[in-house]
Amino acid sequence: MLLTDKQKKILTLLADGEFHSGTVLAEIMGISRAAVCNHINHLSEVLGLSIAAVSGKGYRLDKSVELLVQEEIEMVLNERSKTLISQLEIHDQIDSTNRYLMEKTRHSAASGLVCFAEQQTAGKGRRGREWVSPFGSNIYLSIAWQFPQGGYAAIAGLSLAVGVAVIRALREQQLYDVGLKWPNDIMSQGRKLGGILIEVSGEVDGGCNVVIGIGLNLFLPENKAQNIAQAWTDITKITGQRPLRNALAGDLLNHLLPMIADFEERGLSAYLDEWRRYDCLKGQPALLFVGQKTIEGIVEGVNDDGLLLLKRNDGTVQAFASGEVSFSGASA
Amino acid sequence: MDIRKIKKLIEIVEESGIAELEIKEGEEFIRINRYSSAPVNYAPAPVAAQPVQITAAAVAVEEKITGHVVKSPMVGTFYRSASPGTKVFVEIGQSVMVGDTLCIIEAMKILNQIESDKSGVVTKVLVDNAEPVEYGQPLFIIE
Repeated sequence: MLLTDKQKKILTLLADGEFHSGTVLAEIMGISRAAVCNHINHLSEVLGLSIAAVSGKGYRLDKSVELLVQEEIEMVLNERSKTLISQLEIHDQIDSTNRYLMEKTRHSAASGLVCFAEQQTAGKGRRGREWVSPFGSNIYLSIAWQFPQGGYAAIAGLSLAVGVAVIRALREQQLYDVGLKWPNDIMSQGRKLGGILIEVSGEVDGGCNVVIGIGLNLFLPENKAQNIAQAWTDITKITGQRPLRNALAGDLLNHLLPMIADFEERGLSAYLDEWRRYDCLKGQPALLFVGQKTIEGIVEGVNDDGLLLLKRNDGTVQAFASGEVSFSGASA
Repeated sequence: MDIRKIKKLIEIVEESGIAELEIKEGEEFIRINRYSSAPVNYAPAPVAAQPVQITAAAVAVEEKITGHVVKSPMVGTFYRSASPGTKVFVEIGQSVMVGDTLCIIEAMKILNQIESDKSGVVTKVLVDNAEPVEYGQPLFIIE
């Protein structure tokens, strides 16, 4: 663990965003004021937290933090989801939740491994892009699942179904102004709110191990987001208030785990109508980048396999399995 | 087995993109294989007037079967490394074992690691990095 119990306790005390005097913190902790000061320096250095020290008043976090707590997430879980979790881990800091679970399941496949992190030091998006992952502010979640049969082809549509599950969880939190950009970017008002990255290893025709990674912006400080190349947003910007992290974490699991567990049986077809309702690309002119080529067309939606349908200038409609979609002015 | 039934089965195999279908129903047995490693030759018998052409074709065929061909199991984009700027999974001339990752094929933002189903030496990489691939397209030759 990155943080000692003492450091974690100080962080929990400071989490409310109010002033706490060094003397009181020292008393509660049973340590000297100098030790309190050292721990707080460590917290701000390692976690990148901004902790103000004002003489006569004490220490204060610039923004309140709701830390992820296993018991609080579990309180939100329904019975089905509880039975589907084999292990739930919350890391203070990790390189990447996806990398961690890929490594963990490399030699012994397992289903229902759930990993949250307060901070990722090498959070990743598609093709080596960084997923900005500051401490205590967003959700970084990965789930490992073993699909025993059917091979890679059987889980292709999972990509879109995961998007639907995330939208369901957001709607449960009264967030309705959200949509999907093919295949599964979570969007709001044309800006990216969340991303999903799925990695698969194993046998092409047989059992495969899947790790589903989700990054969702709840509150992304502007100073951490300077290097993000695309238009982004977070839930706080959309609703005007900080969302409850543990409640949203629990809702995500409630919608994701049953969907994943039933996917081999139900397939994408069970989620297609809903996906199409949340499609924020349909009817939009878009560019699709495939390899060295750029393909221009109007997005016609998705076909029953979840492939992107693009209407070309000559009127033909083509289906695409991969490529990067670029568009402007979508309304989610 | 009813010829209409067989026709229907062939259609199903064509549409689904699966490589092989085997069905046993009581005494009856049928196997439909779209990508047979030993294709039946339906080509008309070579005409004597074109001996050179035939020899060339025969050599080409022979070259093809010397190695084990790793084909793409899906439609997607072919990547030789985990992310841009990192080391490729396999170089030409490199020895691989069964289960070693050869490449990633991305389809609908799912990154599928493609493992080698044969031990040997990679002698050819048939697709450029970040290019789209079709189902069944040859990717690597392992000897």
